[in-house]
Amino acid sequence: MSRERLVVVGHGMAATRLVEQLVAGGYAGHVTVLGDEAVPAYNRILLSAVLEGTHVDSAITLRRPEWYAERGIDLRLGSRVLAIDRGHRDVMLVDGTVVPFDRLVLATGSLPTLPPVRGLVTAEGRLHPAVHAFRSLADCRRLLDAVPDARRAVVVGGGLLGLQVARALSVRGVATEVVEGAEHLLSRQVGAGAGAVLARSLRRLGTTVYTGARAVRLVEPTSGEGVTGVRLDNGAVLDTDLVVLTAGGRPATSLARAAGLAVRRGVVVDDHLTSPTDPTVHAIGDCAEHRGVTTGFVPPAWDQAGVLARRLCGHDVEHTGSRGVARLRATGLDVAVLGDPVGAEGEVVEVTNPVVGKHSRLVVRDGVVVAAALVGDLSRVGLITQHYDRGTVLGPHEPGQLLLPEQGAAAPTADALPDDVEVCACAGVSAGRLRACADLQQAREQTRATTGCGSCAATCAQLVGTAAADPTCEVVRTK
Amino acid sequence: MAGAATPQETRTHCPYCSLQCGMTLTGSGRGGRDLEVQPWAEFPVNEGALCRKGWTAGGLRGSRDRLTTPLLRDRGTGELRAASWDEALDLVAERLTGLREQHGPDSIGVFGGGGLTNEKAYQLGKLARVAIGTSQIDYNGRWCMSSAASAATRTFGIDRGLPFPLADVEEADVVVLVGSNLAETMPPAARHLDRLRERGGRVVVVDPRRTPTAAHADVLVQPVPGGDLALALGVLHLLLAGGHVDTAYVEERTRGWDVVADSVAGWWPERVERVSGVAVAEQQALVGLLAGAGRVVVLTARGAEQHAQGSDTVLAWINVALALGMPGRPHAGYGCLTGQGNGQGGREHGQKADQLPGYRMIDDPGARAHVARVWGVDPDSLPGRGRSAYEMLDALGSTTGPRALLVMGSNIVVSAPRATHVAERLAALDLLVVCDLVLSETAALADVVLPVTQWAEETGTMTNLEGRVVLRRQAVPAPEGVRSDLDVMAGLARRLGSPVDFATDPEEVFDELGRASAGGVADYSGITYARIEAEHGVFWPCPVTGDGQPVHPGTPRLFAERFATPDGRAHFHAVDHRGPAEAPDADYPLHLTTGRVLAQYQSGAQTRRIAALPDPGPFVEMHPQLAARLGVADRMLVEVGTRRGTLRAPARVVDTIRPDTVFVPFHWLGVNRLTNDALDPASRMPEFKVCAARVAAA
Repeated sequence: MSRERLVVVGHGMAATRLVEQLVAGGYAGHVTVLGDEAVPAYNRILLSAVLEGTHVDSAITLRRPEWYAERGIDLRLGSRVLAIDRGHRDVMLVDGTVVPFDRLVLATGSLPTLPPVRGLVTAEGRLHPAVHAFRSLADCRRLLDAVPDARRAVVVGGGLLGLQVARALSVRGVATEVVEGAEHLLSRQVGAGAGAVLARSLRRLGTTVYTGARAVRLVEPTSGEGVTGVRLDNGAVLDTDLVVLTAGGRPATSLARAAGLAVRRGVVVDDHLTSPTDPTVHAIGDCAEHRGVTTGFVPPAWDQAGVLARRLCGHDVEHTGSRGVARLRATGLDVAVLGDPVGAEGEVVEVTNPVVGKHSRLVVRDGVVVAAALVGDLSRVGLITQHYDRGTVLGPHEPGQLLLPEQGAAAPTADALPDDVEVCACAGVSAGRLRACADLQQAREQTRATTGCGSCAATCAQLVGTAAADPTCEVVRTK
Repeated sequence: MAGAATPQETRTHCPYCSLQCGMTLTGSGRGGRDLEVQPWAEFPVNEGALCRKGWTAGGLRGSRDRLTTPLLRDRGTGELRAASWDEALDLVAERLTGLREQHGPDSIGVFGGGGLTNEKAYQLGKLARVAIGTSQIDYNGRWCMSSAASAATRTFGIDRGLPFPLADVEEADVVVLVGSNLAETMPPAARHLDRLRERGGRVVVVDPRRTPTAAHADVLVQPVPGGDLALALGVLHLLLAGGHVDTAYVEERTRGWDVVADSVAGWWPERVERVSGVAVAEQQALVGLLAGAGRVVVLTARGAEQHAQGSDTVLAWINVALALGMPGRPHAGYGCLTGQGNGQGGREHGQKADQLPGYRMIDDPGARAHVARVWGVDPDSLPGRGRSAYEMLDALGSTTGPRALLVMGSNIVVSAPRATHVAERLAALDLLVVCDLVLSETAALADVVLPVTQWAEETGTMTNLEGRVVLRRQAVPAPEGVRSDLDVMAGLARRLGSPVDFATDPEEVFDELGRASAGGVADYSGITYARIEAEHGVFWPCPVTGDGQPVHPGTPRLFAERFATPDGRAHFHAVDHRGPAEAPDADYPLHLTTGRVLAQYQSGAQTRRIAALPDPGPFVEMHPQLAARLGVADRMLVEVGTRRGTLRAPARVVDTIRPDTVFVPFHWLGVNRLTNDALDPASRMPEFKVCAARVAAA
């Protein structure tokens, strides 16, 4: 029997994960990966980190071409697919090359949505020179090239990506303004309270925020400074050197649609990540619509890639959905969103302190944290995420405790230690025996206290030659 | 040797952990019945410091718990009865000979220990392969540092726990302890951390619990059990992202970096946070500390290693050290803090299923030829690779597994994972022979129990966590009726018709071990008892030199010029986080992890019998939030359950542990009935350090 020919259209996060998992699972077929970008796959969600400067851009490459070659995988970069012919079971590239397949995976990702702003696109059909999308490494590099000459920037979109880009530009020394059409920032993820706290924090960091305001057209700058002006629907004009569009994306479905596959918002797949139209076609990641949901986040895309890889390696597994955790990645802004803290049903435990820029909300159902929004204080995010991912059933007081700083019991001072408390664990010496010693030298010789790991030396020095603790004194024992 | 009339001081080393603290022993009373421990201030590893285990180590001397006569299980009553040495050894030899004739030599298994001296470990391997002819030999060190051993061998071409003297860490800028609670497990070692901090250096502790070691640390990172690997990947990701990789070092001294660099691009901080439970800000702080330091030491211990992904976890932390350009630099690099007293030497001289003396691999024809020549046997007569420790135990009494087991220096039913199953396998044996000084839980199950000497009553060498070979001199005579393990092996070998003699004099065995190890990775051939005494121990490799040439000085520090790999470079290995074999779920919602307490050692066979050491029994450490959820108060009895067993013990409510994790110390029978026998694919290490558990008020 000849080897199955598997063709993966797309070479982003989901496709790379799929190929990694196919290799790990010992997939027997021959894999071809068609990527339209000229560069090898990179970690797209770190683009804003490259923009900000926390990541060197070489650090985001996921797998270089040699990795594919060494594993017998046919990676073709710069290969844009023109059409899928399900009848002939092949895909045609824009250069006319035909690539036959037995099985096809669509991992085409999403395309940035152009907001309805007049003047974004020039008469020649290009983006206005001051306008930047922010989806690919090429976009990121182009924006980085523009930063040294820019004094001001307007970021259109106050979602996760928009805030990351705004902070990155701000950290790079560009005066940045954010325009968000909804009534508050991160409106898809968090409620108005969290959004308000976030806006306040951003302003404190020097970034101006306009919510409930839409950019409607590019105009001449009113001040004479800047390359262009962004007119808002409230009439204000923001003069700027850069306009960055981050107002979301939509699944890239045109190939699937043209091939006659079922497409709604995304390419429709079932729990096997298989198209209902064609059992040999699959879709994963941003382009896929599973149980009516398209996501745009990496964790579900990787879950899907893992499930599909296992299926292609012969395991009967299903994808039943993912638990989402979204994290804002930007210096000075701390945000974690677990699940859907606005829409999830349950009891809400909330702590808000706009004065210090903190807002925390847990949605709890039957003792389980089913969603959370944490803004401004991520000191407990590690534990809260563990509880969320594992569905831990918590006690009635725990959600509240999770939103407050950890309070360790203060260790008692030396003079409050009862005589029977062990002070030197290495030698097993109690406070009473130490008190009975005249000095540290005697304690060392008679009890061997302080001669092991040495960590009790300070306490021992305080105890030798003193009277017993006041018995009425309440002591929190740490042993 | 010490006479009874004039008490004499003997310089020796502690019977317990891998620090092998120097101590001075003085026997007094009739036959040296009482044994006093005093400091030996000049020995550099501990400089006279000891913990209470060391101070009280003489407590078994003259104890009624000591076995002083062989015991045989009476067929009629099923009870153990006293027997003479000849009767016991004759019986063992007769039964083993019968099994060997009927079922072949692999029907006999040999199980050693990481507490045995080098001489015993060496002799045990020879006993198995020459006198018995079995491939079925392994030891409890497989459950100790085998993951680190596997990782270090693959990376550096050599497995020596620390590639430098422990005191070198005092001059480091940052020491990262991953899964080590050395302030409790080897307290005097913590003094080196304190000196480092007095100099302005920083100590990082990575542990799901805020242990007493954290009191010696500047930074504590508390990942979820099983999260150490993801954390290491995240640390490397951030080092790479920030441009902190020492590219000149990577270029000159390593290979395999590119694949590793790409593999961590998928471990961005927020993903690591979700997997490991360590917040992004804490990752960044840790990386900031590492990136700004000139000399970084990364040390792993059982907390990182005793996992089904333990060897990959170690590889991931070694990758961090290599990316920072540390291994081979003074006061910097990677090391493993070995656990058992001779955890290092015990893994070098042939009691491991796949090894011959000198850390030679048993399937290497050159190694077989060399060792066979030293032993005076035909290389083809040596068996091949056997089963690893847990796999051998799992096979006991089965149609293909050993039908008899000889145990030396191990208390299996307390220390093996999934202990109920292991006890069942032991019960399925035709013959169980246990050598011990006390009637341990495993000895109590045996058909034949042979009483053997303890450390002060015999001479032998140990190799400490630094690779320093030290000498324990006999300080007092053995009690009447008790023989050394070397005597037992010689007696058995003779009765089994061994083609060659087995020496009983430790120094003679050591010299033979030296010849067998010559030219191997762990070359002891230039080490003598006299040199060890004169030099406060000798670091291997120390090859013998020709007549008239100066002696080899030993090798305190490895890797300054090259690594021990064929190409002289350290090899990066790309690894990925797979997670624990058993993740918490609705039925078993918590992580269970295990470890040690200061006053007890390993299976407790010795320390639980020493009256001066507190023996509280096992306890279940849990966070106040979890205790409140369960309706449990401090000291209340609770039951811990896993898919393999249950344990009842009092709760110990402390805010030093993660709220999603419970901890139980493993020194007592029953604790390891809970633990998971999932094995690391490379090291065959069981997953002692994490499994899914539930806890309820009992």
